[in-house]
Amino acid sequence: MTTLTNIPSLEREDHILDQLKEKFGDAIKESRISRRSRPEVTIAMEKMLEVSRFLRDELGFDRANGAGGADYLRDQKMEVIYHVSNLTRKETRDIVLSVKEIIPRSSPKVNSLVSIWPSVENFERETYEMYGITFDGHPHLEKLFLIDNWDGPPPLRKDVRIPTD
Amino acid sequence: MTSVVSSEPSESGSQTLTISVGPQHSGSGHMRLIIEMDGDIIIRASPDPGYVHRGTEKIYELRNIIKNIPVIERPAIIDASNLNHAYIRAVEELQGIEAPPRAQYLRCLLNEMNRITSHLYWLSIFGVFLGHTTMFMWPLGDRELIVDLQEKLTGARITHSYIVPGGVRRDLPQGMKEEAIKRTQYLEKRLEEYDKIFFENPIFTARAKGVGKLSRDEAVKLGAVGPALRGSGVDYDVRKDEPYAAYPELDFNVCTRQEGDSYARSMARIDEIRESCKLIRQIVQKIPSGPFRRKAPIVVPRGESYSRVESARGECSVYLIGDGGDKPYRLRFITGSYRNMAIIAPVLIGGHMADMPTAWWSIDYWPVEADR
Amino acid sequence: MSASQKARQQPDEDPIAMLADGINVWIGKLGDIVHTIVDRTPIRHVINWGRIYSLWPVNITTACCSAEFGAASGARHDLERFGVLPLGSLRQSDLMVVEGTVTNKMAKRLKMIYDQMAVPRYVIAMGDCSISGGLFHDSYSIVNGVHEFLPVDVYVPGCPPRPEALEQGIIMLQEKIRSSKVYEHT
Repeated sequence: MTTLTNIPSLEREDHILDQLKEKFGDAIKESRISRRSRPEVTIAMEKMLEVSRFLRDELGFDRANGAGGADYLRDQKMEVIYHVSNLTRKETRDIVLSVKEIIPRSSPKVNSLVSIWPSVENFERETYEMYGITFDGHPHLEKLFLIDNWDGPPPLRKDVRIPTD
Repeated sequence: MTSVVSSEPSESGSQTLTISVGPQHSGSGHMRLIIEMDGDIIIRASPDPGYVHRGTEKIYELRNIIKNIPVIERPAIIDASNLNHAYIRAVEELQGIEAPPRAQYLRCLLNEMNRITSHLYWLSIFGVFLGHTTMFMWPLGDRELIVDLQEKLTGARITHSYIVPGGVRRDLPQGMKEEAIKRTQYLEKRLEEYDKIFFENPIFTARAKGVGKLSRDEAVKLGAVGPALRGSGVDYDVRKDEPYAAYPELDFNVCTRQEGDSYARSMARIDEIRESCKLIRQIVQKIPSGPFRRKAPIVVPRGESYSRVESARGECSVYLIGDGGDKPYRLRFITGSYRNMAIIAPVLIGGHMADMPTAWWSIDYWPVEADR
Repeated sequence: MSASQKARQQPDEDPIAMLADGINVWIGKLGDIVHTIVDRTPIRHVINWGRIYSLWPVNITTACCSAEFGAASGARHDLERFGVLPLGSLRQSDLMVVEGTVTNKMAKRLKMIYDQMAVPRYVIAMGDCSISGGLFHDSYSIVNGVHEFLPVDVYVPGCPPRPEALEQGIIMLQEKIRSSKVYEHT
């Protein structure tokens, strides 16, 4: 009935990941397909801009659905996750590629992708205020929701306990 | 609360004016727009959100997955079930279960009813913006008919908590089928009257046509979603492009308009109400028999899932990371209005200040949904 | 130091200021007499009757309960039959319906708006969030209950309250005004 129960043919997803591996080799640290139309790839943070440009120009991912962070306190790392998809070609619109980069918790700093996908501007601002991750090259990296609302440490970090706990 | 700050005159003698609209404003709702004007032309606009930021993404990590359902719904209570559907789909994907077919149809039924009530509410607030009292009263009155249907199905007027992991909470009540058919047919008749009273009326067309232009390329680039994108000529609808629940088996059209102005965005929504009426009738006629709920565990297994649905204001996505406990480890929740925040400035810039309400509200930006 | 403060410091030297002070005192006393008369005679009921049926709420929405406030003002429930017409401007409003969660950011603006409203002014706290924080009580950015910075007249619980509940809240507020003194509210 839904896409979950169909016999999955993962050719398109495999093709995307193969192309990425072929082009960038070592920069692709990890790749997997969690289900039909949900490929996932982890990229070294230095190569992020290059890979994103390739994704947009060559593979047709012309739209960023969202961006967000995740904090792994136990492993002392943080992640920035971008979800990108394609809007122009109708047959591949269902594919949402997760592009991840792992950053050390001690120095959370990555390159901003606003120059590639302008729509991530607000999402990166939110990630900045919620996790304290700095985005280099962001046009105006300032707080979005938390002005006047909260002036403590970045609230979504796992070691931050909110005051009414 | 409109404050005016004028800048120092520049060397050429020109002077710009900075106005902040909201949060106390008959239209702006719970957000502030900082608008800079040169004469009567808006040259810069920046939204100032956060007036309804309730820190829900932190709260999700503190509650178990069932207790999270009401919290997920609150950001857009007039469109509650669509948001809930995105969340439940993400949870079910991690748990590896799937709701029975009857539940899928019931979910779609509630989603479509929510879409209608949300669009009618938007239309009535548009009436407030335009100073058009009939436009405020009529849609709200007709909305109550669908709200009654929702209440009959779920037991609550607008915050249903109806969709749960493994299915839905209640079965279709008796007499619902006939009632749904009757009421949607009545609503379609009313929409024809709306056409004559509102949408072909110069009072509305003169204020909406050609106002707040958003080109196709810009809409795609800035990540617009929902009717705001479809009003610019992109036929993107998650229900068609990545069909979920019962939508693959249902017959409907994606409503697009080419012009990309306020009028096009508004009409895309009105067309959607018509499609939703058809969908509701299809659903109650086609609905299969069988169980409506199956057992589901109260844990989020280790893993990640990304699910999205088409809510009334556009694509709503949930990115869920589970660590094996009963609470989500991380829940990233991006709603349609939050995505559409990026197009507020391009829609307003270059227009007259007097056109601001029409251009702005045609995006259907619901601040609570954006701030979460 | 402003001119009025100077005048108050040197009353002996300025006969006009002395005269003005005297008149002020007498007007104050006269005012007290008028207040007493109004509160102890049927004039009170006439004034309260006027207040009861012109409760114009200020246009401020704080969170999602506004959806039900909208439904209550709409065609079916029609709050206007109680004299509640949500189209007034800030200065002409008598009633503030706090519709839902109040965040830290909104709280400052809410107080500012309340201070600008003319007396008598009444506050209805609508929804669980504005009463006690409700569903979001453990959030980092909200105020747990609007009573922390505003005097609340009527609480309307519910998440969100049904339009009927809001109507009842308004009737309760009208009852409260009916039995109150005219100059009580400041």
